[in-house]
This record gives sequence, C-alpha cells and structure tokens, in this order.
Amino acid sequence: MERWNNIINTALLGTAKKQADNHGLNGPLQTAADTILGNTAADKEEQFLQLASVIYNYRQSGTQPVTAAVQPVPVCAAETKACCPPAAIRVLQPVLETDSIQLLLLWLEYCTNANLLLPPAQLPVMLDKAWRNKSLRVLTAAAGGHRAEWLGQFNPDWNFSRVAETPEERWENGATAQRVEALKEIRATDPAMALTWLQQTWPKESATVKAELLTVLEQPPLATDITWLESLLSEKSKQVKEILIRLLKKLPGSSLHEQYWQIVAGAIQAQEDGHVVVALPELKDDRIFQSGIEKLSNDKKISDDTHILYQLISLVHPSRWENHFGRTPAEVVSLFLRYEALQPFVPALVQAITWFEDQQWATTFMQHSETFYIDIIPMLPTDQQQQLSEQFFDQYPETIIKYASNNPAEWSVALCTKIMRYAATQPYTYNQLFMNNVIRQIPVAISATLDNIVPAESYHVGYWNNIKVHLGRLLQAKSQLPGSFHK
Amino acid sequence: LNLSDEQVLAMAPDDSSRKSGKDLANPAKWVSKGVGDNALWGECQGSGSKPYQTQIDTGNMAFKCSCPSRKFPCKHGLGLLLQYSRQPDSFATQTPPAWVSEWLAKRAEREEKKAVAATAPEKQTDTTAQAKRQQARQQKVSDGTAELLRWIKDLVRNGIMDLPEKDPSFFENMIRRMVDAQAPGLAAMMRELADISYFHEGWQTVFMNQLIRIYLVIQGYQHLDQLPETLQQDVRSLIGFAQSQDELKEQTGITDTWRILGKQTTEEDRLVVERYWLCGIHTKRRALILQFFVRGQSTIANPLTPGATIQAELVYYPSAAPLRAIVKQQMTVPPDHRFSGFTGWEEVMAAQTAISAVLPVYNDQVYTIADLTPVWHQEQWWLQDSRQQLMPVKKGFPHIWKLLALSGGHPLSMAVTGREMQYEPIGVWHEHEYKIL
Repeated sequence: MERWNNIINTALLGTAKKQADNHGLNGPLQTAADTILGNTAADKEEQFLQLASVIYNYRQSGTQPVTAAVQPVPVCAAETKACCPPAAIRVLQPVLETDSIQLLLLWLEYCTNANLLLPPAQLPVMLDKAWRNKSLRVLTAAAGGHRAEWLGQFNPDWNFSRVAETPEERWENGATAQRVEALKEIRATDPAMALTWLQQTWPKESATVKAELLTVLEQPPLATDITWLESLLSEKSKQVKEILIRLLKKLPGSSLHEQYWQIVAGAIQAQEDGHVVVALPELKDDRIFQSGIEKLSNDKKISDDTHILYQLISLVHPSRWENHFGRTPAEVVSLFLRYEALQPFVPALVQAITWFEDQQWATTFMQHSETFYIDIIPMLPTDQQQQLSEQFFDQYPETIIKYASNNPAEWSVALCTKIMRYAATQPYTYNQLFMNNVIRQIPVAISATLDNIVPAESYHVGYWNNIKVHLGRLLQAKSQLPGSFHK
Repeated sequence: LNLSDEQVLAMAPDDSSRKSGKDLANPAKWVSKGVGDNALWGECQGSGSKPYQTQIDTGNMAFKCSCPSRKFPCKHGLGLLLQYSRQPDSFATQTPPAWVSEWLAKRAEREEKKAVAATAPEKQTDTTAQAKRQQARQQKVSDGTAELLRWIKDLVRNGIMDLPEKDPSFFENMIRRMVDAQAPGLAAMMRELADISYFHEGWQTVFMNQLIRIYLVIQGYQHLDQLPETLQQDVRSLIGFAQSQDELKEQTGITDTWRILGKQTTEEDRLVVERYWLCGIHTKRRALILQFFVRGQSTIANPLTPGATIQAELVYYPSAAPLRAIVKQQMTVPPDHRFSGFTGWEEVMAAQTAISAVLPVYNDQVYTIADLTPVWHQEQWWLQDSRQQLMPVKKGFPHIWKLLALSGGHPLSMAVTGREMQYEPIGVWHEHEYKIL
C-alpha cells in the first residue's frame, strides 16, 4: 500500500516537482525500479509511468482476500411453516404491479390463513411495501416468518416484523402495529385483561404509541374503560387528548356524556298533555364548548340555541329518550317525526344512532321513517344496506359509494353495476386509484358485464377504457387468489 | 419453457419495455393466444384496427411481432411471454396458425442457408486495397497514440492535484482526438477517465488505475511486434480494431451446455451494452457475450435468457485470456442447476493472477464460488468464504437485500463479477436451484 501511495503522491505533485524513486521498494520490485530509473534514455515522466505500471501490475497480480475478525452474522432461525406454492407467487407479481394495497392485503390474508410464508426472494419488496403502508405491516410480519424478522435487524425500516405466535407474545415483543393487533384480539375475548395491559404499559409509551393504542378502545367503546379514560384527561399530548374526548363522547355514562344529556333533558320536556316543549336553558358552564360543541350557528335560519341543542342531541345515546319520555324506541321515533318542535332534530337523532352505532335503533328508525336518511345506511345489516343502496343509488350516488366503499362486504353485482355506471360518468374521480381501494368489494362476476358499461360523454371513453383495463387486471388477479394457495 | 418473471423481464431491452410488457401480461389485451411444440403466439389488440401478431420461437428464443416497434423483444413479445410464464394453463396447445408456421419455416430455411453459406467458397477480396486501408488506419492510430502519450506525460509532469477543477473539455478534446485517430477503444477508456467522480474520496487511485491501463495499451501498441500473438490481439481490440464476427463464426467453437449466469446492462450516449455472463457446465469455461444497440432500437433477435441453460457453440475472441465470445448456434435445454466453481477467494485470486500474468490490462471477470456469506463489516457488505476470507461487495449493489433474504445468514454458492477488490453477485444457488438476482 505504501508503494502505491508513493506513486499517488508523485502523481499529485507532478514529476516536475517530485521525481519517481525506489523508496519503500525491495526484492524484484527494487530490481525493476533500478532498471527503470537507471534508463537515462527515458524522460522523468516515462520513468514514472513505467514504474507506476510495474507497481500496478504487482498489486493486481498479488491481490489477496481480506482476513479479518468479523462479527459473524447471526443465522436466521429455521421456519416452522412452509413457503407458499409457486402458483401463489405467480399471482403475487401481478398483484404488486397493480399497486393496490387492498389486493395485496387480500393476498396476504390468503397466505396467512393457509398458514404459509412468503418466499425469501419476495421479502425485500414486501417489507418495503409494508414500510410505506402501515396497514400491511401485521400481515407482512405474519407471512414474513423468521426471515423477515432477521432482515429487520439489518434494515431499521423493516423492524416492524417480529415473529410472535400468541397475542401475549405480540403484545410483549411486537412492533407497534403488532401490539395494536394483539390488544384488539385480547380485548375481543377479555376486555378487563386488555385494560390491565394498557394501564401497565401506559407510563412507558410515547404519545404516538398511546394514540395508536387508544384507538383500539373505540371498537367498541366499553363502559368499564370510563374511569381509567377519565383519569387520563390531564395528558399533555393534544393528539392523545383528542382521542380521549372522542372516546368519552361515545360512552354513555361518561361525565361528558352525562353533562350533555343533562342539558338536553332539561331543554326537551314532555308535558302532561303529551305535548313536547323545546327550550334551551341558559348555559352557565363553558365546559361543553371546550369539548367541541360550537356556540354559534353558521346558518341564519337556525338559531344559536337550536344549533347547540342539535349538536348535543347528536351526541347523546338515543336510548336515553326511552326513559325520558317513558316510551319504546318506535314511539320515540314517531314523537320526533310528529312534533313540529322536534322535527328539526330528526337528523341529529339519526346522527346519534350512527355515532353510537346502534343497529337496533337504526332498524327501528328505518321502519318508521318515511324519509330515507342516507347516513343511517352503515348501521343496517349488510343485505339491507345493499338493498337500500341499490334502491336509493340514483338519489345519493356519491354518499352510497362512500359508505359501500367503507363496508368490507362484497357488493352485489346489481349494486356494483350501478356504481360502475356512475363511475364511468366521473372517471376522473372514480379512477384507477379508486378501483385499487375497492377491489375487495368488487365482485369478480362483474368482469362479464364490464364491457357493457360505457360513459355517456365521448371524451370520457379513452380514460374510462384505461380504468376498465386496470380493473380487469385487478379482477383477474383477485379471481386467481382462492385457487393459488392450494398445494 | 419454464421461465420466472425475473428471467422474462431480464430480456427487456429497457425499463419502458419492461413496464409496458408487464401491462400487456393481461389476458384482456389478447384477442387470441396459443402454444405449440416450439412456438408461442398471440394477437394483441393495439391502437390500430388489426391486432398485432406476436410470435416467439421457444426452441431458439426468438421474437417477431407485426407492431412497428424497433425494440427487440418488443413489449408485446415480453407481455406474451410473461403471461405464459404466469399462467401457462391459459394457453391452449394447438397447431400454430399459418402466420406462425410460415415464420418458423422461414427461420429454419434461413438456418439451412446459413449452414450452406458457411460451407460455400469465400468470395475474393481485393487484398491490396485492404492492406492499403489497414496501413492507413495503423498510421492514424500510431499518430493518435503518440499524441495521447504526450498528453499523459504532460499530465504527470504537472501533477493531477487540480484535476477536479478542470473543465470537461480537458478530457473531451482528447476523446474526440482518439475517435478521429480511429482508436475507439482508447476513446472509451478515456471516457471512463472523464467519468470518474472527482469529488469522491479516493478518486486519485481510481484515476491512476485507469491512466496506467491506458498507458499500458499505448505501450503495447507501440511494441506490438514484441508481444505474444494472442496478447497482440488483446491490445488491438483494446485500441478499438474490430474483429470480424463472420471470421469468428467460421472457426470451430467450444460446444457445451452453458448456464447464462446473469446479465448486466450499461448505457453510454444512448448506446446500450448488454453483458451476458456464461459458464460452461462441462468445460468449466467462463464467457462474456456482449451485445450493443442504440437505445430503443435493439435488433437482437435471439436474446439470451438470464438464468437459463443453453446448448451452444461459442467461439472466443482471440485473447491471451479468452473471455469474450460469440454464440455460433444455440438451443435452449432444460435447466441444469448443479453448482461447480471455486471453493473460495484464494482460488479466485490465483485464477485472477494467472490472467494478470498474461493479460495485464484485463476487465471484469465472472466467477462461481461456493459457500459465500454476506457479512457486515467496517460499514459495508462483504462476502465471506468458508475459510473466513473476505472480499467487499461493490458499493451501491442494488440487490443486497434480496441476497441477504436468500442467505438468511447461511452460506450460498454464488456467481459474481468483478476484479481485484470489488465484486457484484449476479446469481445464487438457493435450494438446489440457480436464481438470478
């Protein structure tokens, strides 16, 4: 190395300033150098270039591998599960090419349900995808096996992937996404244990993790969590506090909910003769406004009092009206619909039904209301949702598409055809990205009729055709999924 | 015909073809498709009224398409092959339609004609005029090399310290001079010198390595008659004297079952260079097939499939250490995944020293080496052999994660390219199968 450095130093300075010499050379190299430097017929530059060539060749011919004490790479633990079959990998490629996270999730669900693993060669691509899309992390970790966890030690972006078989293990050792899933799982079977886990870990967690863990308590909110949640209201993080307030608003029995109800109950009274009087009492306590209730109406036709009451009704559980009026849900609904003073608050009641996700109230409401309230749709049983969505599609196309997209159930072919017909009229909104997001809901059977769907406007034809081709690819891959995981 | 996605996509002449090929691996785009004994075909609905007719000779891996693209294979050929590799069951086995069978028959006819032409007597050439032309070119090259040597000497006299501040024209003028002197090989070597990143640490060594290589080529050319016959050929080709491929094809080559270890693609001024690295399963010889084309205008009708095995006759370019070769004839055969190669870095170094001894200016080589483990050491990845000896992985190697994922900390037999202290894996033997990276 010293010999070569000497050559570099001479080259840097130039032979005009520093001539080539045999410094540091010995053995055959020195003999060669002596011959070169002793050749007076050659100029200084020639001598330098010849000597540099000899040393270059000497170095090149004598290259040796490096021997060094290297910390051995830990060997990855052997997998206990088998890799998915080649047919599944052949489907994975087109799935990846479509860029649809939903389709990829579906592929991963098939893979993990079949108790199979991703082959090692696919892991870097999948881990990278999961790094960019949090929703893929839990399933990628499950399908990645020990090899994905092993790779995570070399690439910090991928360390969300840890092998853990039981929810307890995932909770103790998993990455955040895995812990959230474990908490969800345990809460479904043992809510008290889930609360204990949360209470134990709470002081050790960062605000971001706290926020992620709290979201688990929304599915569904439980009265047993109220005391603990209320004790957290002094949390400093704004993000955590917002989630806490949202959760408490969803919990009848919480101080906040009770406070809302007290005001509402005071404002809406049933007279002895059966009439209902609506009058908002003076509000002395400002706390309700701090929890997000707006003081002023932004509509001239609606008074501030009505606006406040409207918001409060939409945040109190509809079952409270049963005791308040001493009537059944059906009677309460007809009371709201019948009395002029209550009619402006019917949409607020609908909002309360959806806010508390009360399916029974939703069904009762639908049975008695002659007006269709679109927001109630997600609260109804799936088949009823689809039937109503089909029935009212032409009236509320966009809202129905929004709700249908949020419901994981697959659409009926009839509803899907309506949605696609509408999408063809708005191809810039319902584009390839939209199809990527709803491929889970689109039935494969729609492929047969896709060609019959054409936009009304001729200038939409080209764009819609591209969307259709893309949708064709998505459906093609989706149709292959079920069969491709059989060995 | 059993190709993986990677193998099909590796045949693409560029990224845009790769992307379009993927889009066309969609059954909805194909009006008809079928597979026969030695052919794959399909009709793809393009923007025109008539669908494009795409056909692939699977026996000899050749593509033809009625689309106007000048790329080979075109996106339709890639899309069709990709679709077949993903869903072979969706192709009905049938007798090829007339447009396919006619093409196959024409190909067979051409092969026969070629064979007849090879045996036909050579046409008379005007040897006097040819000698005159050669003499004129040699003179031009001699003048060019003398000028380049003067330029090099000026450079070392004044020192290379201020090279990073030099204007690009400092190199460009000399590159153009080499082109004028009909020494394109030297021009390319000078281009490498100009392309060095002078703002990276250690540029001085990279620069001097290349400068000395150029100097050695000039010296070799100026003392050509004193060199062994084969080394003369190397110097001539390094200068840029072309070797007639027709002449090479007349020679008897080496017939073996060759594994196509991998493909590397580089591009310079729209000229795409594809390097296919091969290894003979029985002869253990290594070979490099070079293919050149202008970007977007690939005219290579018989692309090699990385990772595949072919039965082929290869003719090597004359060299003191033969590596570059041409494929005289080839036929795809079922893959042979047996590993054979060096046991460790020491053997590789010995082989490299043997090359260096006969060919001082040699380029990257390909080696198959048993049991290499990727290890992280001194902030970079290395390949450690079974005797715990290490060689660094080339910086910026794009497939390091795939390599690691396949390894899982276990040693893998690998195919690597490189020389001296820099190597790039191009494929591995994983679970008894050779896989390209």
